[in-house]
Amino acid sequence: MTNNVSSKIKNISTLEYKEKEFEYWGPTPDEARKIMVNKSHGLRDKRHTLKDAVAKFIKDGINIGIGGFVNTRVPVAIIHEIIRHGAKDLTLSFQSNSICPELLAGAMILDPDRVSIKRVELAWWGYEIIGIAPMVRYLTTNGMIEMDDYTNYGMSARFKAAAMGIPFIPVRDHGGSDMELINRGKMIECPFSGKNVYLLPACHPDVGIVHTTAADMYGNARIFGAHCTCPEIAMAATYTIMTTEKVIPTENIRSYPNLTEIPYPAVDTVTEVPFGATPGASYGNYWFDMDHLKMFRSLCEDFRKTGNKEGLQKYYDEYIFSCQTFDETLEKIGYKALKDLKDLDGGQPIILT
Amino acid sequence: MSEYTPFEMIAYTGSRVLEDEKIVFVGTGLPIIAAMHAQLTHAPNLYMIYEAGSMAPILEMGMPLSVGDTRAARKACYLKGLCAVFEITQRGYADYAFIGGAQVDMYGNICSTIEGHNYDQPNIRFPGSGGAGAMAANCEKTIAIMALEKRRFVKKLDFVTSIGFGDGAGDYREKAGVMGSGPYRVITNQALFGFDQETKRMKLLEVKPGRTPQDIQDLVDFELIIPPDVKEMAEPTDEDLRLLRDVIDAEGYFLKRVIKK
Repeated sequence: MTNNVSSKIKNISTLEYKEKEFEYWGPTPDEARKIMVNKSHGLRDKRHTLKDAVAKFIKDGINIGIGGFVNTRVPVAIIHEIIRHGAKDLTLSFQSNSICPELLAGAMILDPDRVSIKRVELAWWGYEIIGIAPMVRYLTTNGMIEMDDYTNYGMSARFKAAAMGIPFIPVRDHGGSDMELINRGKMIECPFSGKNVYLLPACHPDVGIVHTTAADMYGNARIFGAHCTCPEIAMAATYTIMTTEKVIPTENIRSYPNLTEIPYPAVDTVTEVPFGATPGASYGNYWFDMDHLKMFRSLCEDFRKTGNKEGLQKYYDEYIFSCQTFDETLEKIGYKALKDLKDLDGGQPIILT
Repeated sequence: MSEYTPFEMIAYTGSRVLEDEKIVFVGTGLPIIAAMHAQLTHAPNLYMIYEAGSMAPILEMGMPLSVGDTRAARKACYLKGLCAVFEITQRGYADYAFIGGAQVDMYGNICSTIEGHNYDQPNIRFPGSGGAGAMAANCEKTIAIMALEKRRFVKKLDFVTSIGFGDGAGDYREKAGVMGSGPYRVITNQALFGFDQETKRMKLLEVKPGRTPQDIQDLVDFELIIPPDVKEMAEPTDEDLRLLRDVIDAEGYFLKRVIKK
């Protein structure tokens, strides 16, 4: 980004990159505000099937904000439904994620007329201990998607700014790194201290997708374990699709309102999907399924190395396209595997009453 | 003295560098192992921050395999989200950032985004900054941890992901708008590095027994500062190895890996 104030990054950078003109990759703060103002803000029963929710809100060309963090509380059931539904030219925004963008990228490899990713604004895309994500390597090294790199705090702060209803947020990172040159943030001089500070634009996804520990039928949601950036994403998005491990009575929400991390006006649809983050983890319910993640990752890696799509196609046919709902996917994963994952969580305490 | 692997040496050295009564912001793998070892030995009052949102957890479910692992949230003192933990680094609560990376240069800048000079079509895409860029900017001191290999200790980074001392100018970090004081240690299996206060350049502090400073220079693509008083690195005792192998990483997720040739 060209401006008068900058760090000294150009003294050391060797990077070749295309200068970006600033544009919002999703609704502007004004557009996002207008959509929220025009919604009904009543306590309505928002329970829908996931199929209906996705059909209503997922359109070609939108920005999807993905909740969870790497392998934790990742909204996998929603991603499966989006793949079945189909959506092209997507922008994805998230801090760190593993299987959600990989599943969408794999769907793009198999049939770009059904699912395609145009660009991604992110901090990290990989599986941590399980390895680097093959699909991001494939898509980027072949120049098939545009990337916009931030730090984990940067992306989280961008969602937070949007959730706060402010157009940008000053942060203390990105400056002096190559991210300052290639992302859509901007260095300015602080009008009060006169010192350099980096500004990031708010990120309002068109649709936020999050999986929560428990929620009532209106969308008031509790999250146990790390919140990741789920409250901010849900509140930043113009529409939010939520799956939850368990729908609980509103009286329970009203007994402990301090436990509500996502308030009902931020949520447009709620679907109860136990194990909705599998093969990711959900604190208090189940641990992540390392074997399944490894299996899927190895199919992606095989494709990246050989160009052969057969294994991938088989996976998508088996776990996504031959299933009407996520319950059918879970049946294929099997009771024993799910029970083992539940035991691996160790029964960490969550409050549902 | 038992035989130890390169990763065990890195984890042990990482532990030695950490002090008691401090807060360390850890990345997945060796940083977690080093911090757990420090807690079990000389630094019982050292606490960790995990970037998905956990502060000072009790790791009674075993070693977290990810900084978002539900195990890392167990019995934490404070458990919110990414915004919360990174904001407290900006505020000055975190003493150490403990990060890895693909490449490091003489000023402690680190790359974990791409290999190749073209951002839009790199030779290899790595996962990206994740928390590392923010940790290196705002935790007070940055500790980098990586295997000592010439392809990693480079003259020029392909992409500066995590800020170090930039071009070595005294005001580089200030102009970048970041808060932390910058690179503190670089930990490898064969040497421990620090940084020269004046020039901000990487300086050899300790070498593995049996190696000379020249052996270390041969594995680094830029010129190191080699002071006359380079020490020998301490080696893990049998008890240290027992803690690492049987208590901390009993499954060998990280410590049993081999360094690629």
